Amino acid sequence: MADLTLFSFNAGTTALHDLDVRVKTGLVCMLSMTLFFAGFFACLICFLALYPLIRSQGLTLLHLILRLKGFLLLLIIMAAARAVTVPGEPVFSILDVEITRQGLAQGTLVAARFFLVMVIGMLFAVTTRPADLKSAAQWFLAPVPFIPEKRVGLMISLFLRFFPLILAQAGQTADAVNARCGSFRKNPVRRIRSLTLPLLKKTVMAADHLSLAMTARCYSENRTDPAFNPGGKERIFLIAGAGLCLGMVLLSRESVRMIFW
Amino acid sequence: MPETNTAVSQTDNLRPMVHAALFVALISVGAFIAIPIGPVPIVLQNMFVLLAGLLLGPVWGTACVAVYLLVGMAGLPVFAGGTSGIGKLFGPTGGYLLGYLPAVLVTGALSRFLGKTGFRDILAMIAGSAVLYSIGVPWLKLAFSLSWGQAVSMGLAPFLLGDAVKLAGAVIIAKKIRPLLKE
Repeated sequence: MADLTLFSFNAGTTALHDLDVRVKTGLVCMLSMTLFFAGFFACLICFLALYPLIRSQGLTLLHLILRLKGFLLLLIIMAAARAVTVPGEPVFSILDVEITRQGLAQGTLVAARFFLVMVIGMLFAVTTRPADLKSAAQWFLAPVPFIPEKRVGLMISLFLRFFPLILAQAGQTADAVNARCGSFRKNPVRRIRSLTLPLLKKTVMAADHLSLAMTARCYSENRTDPAFNPGGKERIFLIAGAGLCLGMVLLSRESVRMIFW
Repeated sequence: MPETNTAVSQTDNLRPMVHAALFVALISVGAFIAIPIGPVPIVLQNMFVLLAGLLLGPVWGTACVAVYLLVGMAGLPVFAGGTSGIGKLFGPTGGYLLGYLPAVLVTGALSRFLGKTGFRDILAMIAGSAVLYSIGVPWLKLAFSLSWGQAVSMGLAPFLLGDAVKLAGAVIIAKKIRPLLKE
């Protein structure tokens, strides 16, 4: 599990790395909203537009599929469930279960949307430094009343620190449980307990050590405000992103009409 | 003097804040940890949400879920299945994600109000789960234009057995972890 690299920032000098994190966050929001009602063709256009960015991170389509294989399996199951549950014109049947044309189409479309959302999330995570994400959260939340934006920013940076630690410890705990034949246990409550309890104990202790260290260093929320370093291509990315979203909406007029009217 | 008071209050808040950040990470990791106990594996995400309510209380528990939703909305792939983005909140399963907020609030508030024994923890978590499904199922019904029967059979019935198992596991875990958080 610790090998999952969806979250890990890879240092680089690509256009996405240099892009201002606020613009990047805005683009992610815009694209994920548009994908919500995107049709097949719009999804294809979106993938073609994203592909140069994927390549710029040194990834090919094969790399991408291998990296997301665990999640792709989930998407296949989801698409298969749609194919057998949506009523319509049967295409073929397996063991008295009818696969419908409409079900296949809906299942593939939903899987394509989820895949694209995953790719966008991965591109964002791979090219955004945790400190920048914290700064962006502070910047976006600053005008919102009653929200302590500095505290939220600190929680985000702590979360980004804990995430790989927990994944690594979950992997180690699962290995330890399996080495003691824990995988042969029939009782599901005991299985949950044997994995989660040691994991929580270890991580709570790690969190306590961290809070002690922060207290010892006189932690204060009153720190220097974050500085942003725009790479200069923000306007191009914003125009291209808005154009892509507009194009996708125009290509998906049918879905938009169904959702809003 | 006011500056000294602020510094003291920040130090007091530091430990629960670090714990809340830890739970944000646990909720996110919960989407990736699947325990195979039958044909459908159990994913631990909503168990960590309810545990956050039990162990952190209503305020920090809600703050922790709010930060989790914020991080997912911002683009980090922390939602179930490695997805992210604001679109996910408005999608068919958005009701479950938004329902985490009142669910953790209710679980935390009830746990504080009723007291911290195993049976009361179960009551608090059942109430939290009820709140979660009371938002998630109607949202799913609206999103797919389903009948109530279909919405319940798709968005509630398949998860009840797994939820019962998670609830039982969570009570044992809460009992063991609570003293560590109080120390």
